[in-house]
Amino acid sequence: MRTKSIAVAATAVTGSLLLAACGGGGPASAGGKISDGKVVLGLLNDQSGVYKDLSGPNSKVAIQMAIDDYKKKYGDKAVAKDIEIVQADHQNKPDIANTKAQEMYDRDKADIILDVPTSSAALAVANQAKAKKKLYINIGAGSTALTGASCNKYTFHWAYDTAMLAAGTASAVVDQGGKNWSIVYPDYAFGQDMNKSFTAAIEKGGGKVQQSIATPFPNDNFATFITKAQSSKPDVIGTMAAGGDLVNFVKQFNQAGLQGKTKLAVGLMFITDIHNLGVDQFQGTQFTDAWYWNFDDQNRAWADRFKAKTNVRPSFAHAGNYSAALNYLEAVQAAGTDKADDVVKQLEGKKINDVFLRNGEVRAADHNVTHDVYLAKVKSKDQVKEDWDLEEIVKTIPAATAYAPPSGACKM
Amino acid sequence: MSERATAQPTATERASGDVLAVESLSAWYGEARVLTDVSLAVQPGEVVTLVGRNGAGKTTLLRSIMGLHRHVEGTISWGGRELGKASPDARAKAGIGWVPDDRGIYASLSVAENLTLPPVVNKDAWTLEQVYEQFPVLHERRDFPGTKLSGGEQQMLAMARVLRMGSRLLLLDEPSEGLAPVIVQRIGEIIRQIKAQGVAVLLVEQNVKFASTVADRHYLLAQGRVVESLDNDAFQSRTTELLEYLGM
Amino acid sequence: MTAFIQYTLQGLSTGGFYALSALGLAVIFGVLGVVNFSHGACYMLGAVAATVLLDTLGLGFWAALPLVTLLMFVFGVLMERLLVRWLLKLDPLYNFLLTFGITLVLVDLVKRRYGVSSLPYQVPAGLEGRIDLGSLSLSRYQLFVSVFSVLVCLAVWMLLTKTRIGMIVRASTEDAERSRALGINVGRWVTPVFGFGIALAGLAGVLAAPFRAVNADMGSNFIIVLFAVVVIGGLGSILGAVVAGFLVGLVEAFGQAYADRFSQVLIFVLMALVVLIRPAGLFGKEEAA
Repeated sequence: MRTKSIAVAATAVTGSLLLAACGGGGPASAGGKISDGKVVLGLLNDQSGVYKDLSGPNSKVAIQMAIDDYKKKYGDKAVAKDIEIVQADHQNKPDIANTKAQEMYDRDKADIILDVPTSSAALAVANQAKAKKKLYINIGAGSTALTGASCNKYTFHWAYDTAMLAAGTASAVVDQGGKNWSIVYPDYAFGQDMNKSFTAAIEKGGGKVQQSIATPFPNDNFATFITKAQSSKPDVIGTMAAGGDLVNFVKQFNQAGLQGKTKLAVGLMFITDIHNLGVDQFQGTQFTDAWYWNFDDQNRAWADRFKAKTNVRPSFAHAGNYSAALNYLEAVQAAGTDKADDVVKQLEGKKINDVFLRNGEVRAADHNVTHDVYLAKVKSKDQVKEDWDLEEIVKTIPAATAYAPPSGACKM
Repeated sequence: MSERATAQPTATERASGDVLAVESLSAWYGEARVLTDVSLAVQPGEVVTLVGRNGAGKTTLLRSIMGLHRHVEGTISWGGRELGKASPDARAKAGIGWVPDDRGIYASLSVAENLTLPPVVNKDAWTLEQVYEQFPVLHERRDFPGTKLSGGEQQMLAMARVLRMGSRLLLLDEPSEGLAPVIVQRIGEIIRQIKAQGVAVLLVEQNVKFASTVADRHYLLAQGRVVESLDNDAFQSRTTELLEYLGM
Repeated sequence: MTAFIQYTLQGLSTGGFYALSALGLAVIFGVLGVVNFSHGACYMLGAVAATVLLDTLGLGFWAALPLVTLLMFVFGVLMERLLVRWLLKLDPLYNFLLTFGITLVLVDLVKRRYGVSSLPYQVPAGLEGRIDLGSLSLSRYQLFVSVFSVLVCLAVWMLLTKTRIGMIVRASTEDAERSRALGINVGRWVTPVFGFGIALAGLAGVLAAPFRAVNADMGSNFIIVLFAVVVIGGLGSILGAVVAGFLVGLVEAFGQAYADRFSQVLIFVLMALVVLIRPAGLFGKEEAA
């Protein structure tokens, strides 16, 4: 008790000296052992490109909700009194992500960077986090390398990864009788990763991958790829395309007259994809969702709050950003400081149940955050009862089956 | 375009006015001056040649008159009116006909289309029938792509094209170049026929012998300047000397 | 063998669409000497316009087809009058940069207004599903697009070969300077031709809406393929654009069937080969040295 108050006094003095040196300005904040007097959350994601809708600027809203909830919960007792969000657009490019991350950590004094979709960009930021010894929670990217070969002490992977998508979708579809697959995947890091994960999961479940077809990326025309995928008469065609390419694929798949004839499984799909394009195109498509807003009352209540601020329903990435930010602040609270090493200690091994994570656990071994995920099916038009009511949750996939055990590749 | 054509005066109405006058014309390519202070005139029914070595500025002079070369100083007037900044198409419509040294036949147009492409700018222009009568080979090949003709036929076509427009001044750039003597002879005949109709012809030629068979007067061009102006008699008497001078 | 015929059919039907899409690019280059980089963005605008017409006025595909084409014609006319015209006398590079800039502006404006995600658009009624011919099958809509594209190409070809306007455009395409010297007011044809080229891009966009992702970025990848088409065909050659369109469609289909990930690369390999052997493209006019 004594040491703590001395520390507070010391910080307050140092803080005011610092402010005086800088010529004053800004509220004096003395919230415990908080570096620079405030906690800065950096949101680094796609603010203008293909992944804008599924996360983008609305994730700032989600993070702000986490800050509000944290402040409301702890009030005067909050360790972090002054909390700020900075955001930047990485345009899905690893080089830009790298520079922006550096700027965030150094110039903006960010204590943590959140989100970062696109695997190559995500991995670039992981390196920065390691070098700067600052926290980084990835939500938007799927690469298993974040918790594998490229893992490090300061990097956490919160929402999903390719192995989990494959384990969810592939095993569930194989179980339903979809034994024979043709996989069509874009020929870049994410697509190759997905192809590998899906193939492994299908074969593990007793299914067979008849063909794996690599396509250029990006690509508009899938006509002959689809014909070729269909030529081996598979039960399921699995596409690993994302964003605009996924739309191209699905439209052309439907026009090939395959909708309803051959099962379509999508590797990675966000609710925003379905919403933007309408259920007609995707109807019946199965995929793994990390979170669905209308799954239960708790989700729905949160989604209502989110909608009140953004006028849209949240994707799993929005909820993931909320959960990551909130749990980070909780860890700061528990540690009594925003010092990265102490916060990491708080997070490691933590079991979490919140609006996003069910049976969640921050695995200490590889910093992969495992949780229950869901096999979803796109509703048909007559099943849709309200705006954004687009998914039917076929089943919950328990965390233990959804996530692969920590890979040996991760050396902290 | 046909309205414009009917608005044009006939040859006789304006024959007296159809004079090309170039005064103190200089032209540049970038920094390089290719014509210096050139003055010349061509009367209706007169055939005038520009003789000079390659690079003397003959083609540039024709292009300047046509309005294709714009970097010029000095004046060019046609039919008493200064052409100033008039566009090439306006000059063509005013009766100046251009037959470029590469003949300028369109590969993507048939022979007949090559002929009928330009607007008719004078009442007394040659009709298509007249053209075909004069050049039966063009009639035979009328549906062929223009560039499928032989060099001589292309030259005929290029000349027939401006005659069908009814041009009152023909700028002929080396019409005899690369053609067999018998064809060169035929071209000479056509030029004399055109002249008889009161059309003015400004002819660029390196073939001194040919020039002397068709022209009334000659201008010698060297390094962008008019170094001498001769009538045809003087020209013929000094042929050998001129050939030497021109290095031909 | 069946597979071979199937791929050929698919290649031809994609090719028809490529031919139509590249046609406007070829026409504009031919007459104005402008490499219109914004062709992809105009294609995108056409597709987006179709979805917006449906969304706001309830106008479906068949109404959008002529309406968007007309709107894009007007857009092209304005673009030429207000912007492109002023740079025509300068090095062609300036207009290339201008149209590149226009692309960025258009793409960002569409992003600002309609977001980045794909907009919904359905296949028009009656053209869903596919047609089976024995063991062969083709998407009904794909077939429609290729037949329609071929008809439009044919109509453009007739317009160019059988009318006086066409003759003037062809002559100006081949040599604008010479045409001026022959009394053709090439400038008077420049604006409508530019509008026409842009209208064709818009038309291709409407056709694309039901079978491609409609979003602000849909043109950025597409324009690259179209450039390959016009370079293979010969810049400015209308016949070249059509033939190369089909060629590229076939290469892409067979690439997808037999060389999956390299299917797009193959298009550029073809382009490189053509340029090596005939620098002016298959139907391009060799520059007189």
